[in-house]
Amino acid sequence: MNEHELAERMRAERYFADEGLLTAVYLALTLGRPLLLEGEPGVGKTELAAVLARVLGRELVRLQCYEGLDAGQALYEWDYPKQLLHLRATEAQVGEVYREEFLLERPLLRALRKPAVLLVDEVDRGDSEFEAFLLEFLGDFQITVPELGTIRATEPPVVVLTSNRTRELHDALKRRCLYHWIPFPGLERERAIVRAHVPDIEEDAASSLVRAVSGARRLDLLKRPGIAESVEWARGAVALAHNGDQWPVALRRALGLLIKDEEDMALVNAHMDELIAP
Amino acid sequence: MTGLAGAHLRGFLRDLRAAGLPVPVGRQRDFLCALTTVPPRDVRHLYWIASTTLTTSLADKEAFDPVFAHWFAGSGLPEVVETDEPGDEGVGGGGDDAPPDSVMREGTGSAASWSTVERRAEFAVTTADEQRVLVRLRRDLPAALPEIRSRRRTPARRGDRLDVRRVHRDAWRTSGEIVRLRWRRHPQRQRPVLVLIDVSGSMKQHSRDHLRFAHTVVATCDRAEVFTFGTRLTHVTPALRKRDVDAALSQLANVVRDADGGTRIGPSLGQFLGNTRHLRMARGALVLVLSDGLERGDCEPLTRAVRRLSLLAHRLVWWSPLACDPAYRPVTRGMAAVVGHVNKLAGVRDLETAWQQVNDRL
Repeated sequence: MNEHELAERMRAERYFADEGLLTAVYLALTLGRPLLLEGEPGVGKTELAAVLARVLGRELVRLQCYEGLDAGQALYEWDYPKQLLHLRATEAQVGEVYREEFLLERPLLRALRKPAVLLVDEVDRGDSEFEAFLLEFLGDFQITVPELGTIRATEPPVVVLTSNRTRELHDALKRRCLYHWIPFPGLERERAIVRAHVPDIEEDAASSLVRAVSGARRLDLLKRPGIAESVEWARGAVALAHNGDQWPVALRRALGLLIKDEEDMALVNAHMDELIAP
Repeated sequence: MTGLAGAHLRGFLRDLRAAGLPVPVGRQRDFLCALTTVPPRDVRHLYWIASTTLTTSLADKEAFDPVFAHWFAGSGLPEVVETDEPGDEGVGGGGDDAPPDSVMREGTGSAASWSTVERRAEFAVTTADEQRVLVRLRRDLPAALPEIRSRRRTPARRGDRLDVRRVHRDAWRTSGEIVRLRWRRHPQRQRPVLVLIDVSGSMKQHSRDHLRFAHTVVATCDRAEVFTFGTRLTHVTPALRKRDVDAALSQLANVVRDADGGTRIGPSLGQFLGNTRHLRMARGALVLVLSDGLERGDCEPLTRAVRRLSLLAHRLVWWSPLACDPAYRPVTRGMAAVVGHVNKLAGVRDLETAWQQVNDRL
């Protein structure tokens, strides 16, 4: 698959990547390196992994990070009850119960065992202990189980890591990854995204909505709306418009889908007229 | 990769290092591999290939973009950024095509403004009496911090979840017979602490002790962050990590450039809240603000910042030297707006009063 085909297929999945992101994804695929994506919340970091899984026809394995995530939840765990029952039932030797059939696979192990797109989501929420055991995995795509030996990937997984930059990641982790920062999309691209996800919306309406969103992002908001929010806003406003509202009125009434904070709401309301000016 | 193109790329990579962007060998190899497997179509494409493989954060772009522009887009010299130190002089040999070794990036003057006068703080040495108070503080502080249940479970005598792994291990000794149950539980752990210290002129006689207190906080608490603010915000935790309190404070004097100057509490706190990485330090934390709350100018940013801070924090405590006076009422415009949002307003003017507060469980 060359870069052009990749772009076509992603567009067919309603994901509109710009040149920078496409290059990054293509490099990650050809070099077989993990891809670390950063960007404001809601610019489509997580979505990219889901789209890639569909494009490549692989399974999406998702690991959501949180503080306290440990090896037992991310890598593997022995199925102790099953081992004990097996021992009792067959009076087997101890060594016999350390076999793969007694291993419970968690996301990282699962991603090694079958062709997969592995999404390590919000890696900045995990703690440094977690980053440490992610390192072996990302470096060689292998997991060492002391009782069993090293399990290697039959086919290396495509790995996408996302981070919201709430803390600095370790250098060792960053060194193993390709890096791309996803900015907010330009007007043109955002309109294409909105129209692809909300087919009912008219051309003009989409333009004014996208202009309003990008205007809102320039205000001093606590939480700037992402693409996900503008799509939701478009959906809501279209639903209201079908119900008989005029377009600008529908936009105003659906504003709660775009802005999720009371102070921001007040600020946006104050600037609403200039934002949705024709 | 040989010949002219190779020399050009090597020059580019060398300049990146000179510009303060450390590019380890592994990433350089990635970059060169990428170029051979994905031949760039044009300069833009090359830009994306280079930035994907060579940078590791958004901040890197600041150094990366000018160097790239110089080597590949022919847009003149890299932008020269004001430097504090002479810095990297040893940018090796350089061919004929090497550009001037110019860019150093630490300590750009971006935060300076006409109203800001730079002053270095001078701190006197800690006396023996003060050392004794510091010892008491160090002893009592950890116990005074609010706690939160850790997310990790650790083995414990009594717990809420069976530790199957250990039960299983023990059972081997008794040929698969379970004799004793083992448990895991969530241990309690200290909440993070965030200390925001006002170092403006009106706090001059107290900031020395406040910074000493902050040093103790950093030394004794697992997760502590300290910022100072006067006319701007400075992250001082790294400087405070030195073991010796006087050494830490003298290092601090190099970092804090707005000491004893004017006060812009609201905008400084706003700057803190505008950074997502900083927000994480305040979330669920014990937030201590050491300030007299004498805001010059508009109080609106101060009010907004304190309200937001109180929503983020587990507990917001405000220590003001003025409140030591029993007759003190928080009626100045700044404090009147703030007092409704803080969990506790207390009088702290030196280490002794700080220790009393700590003893009072903050």
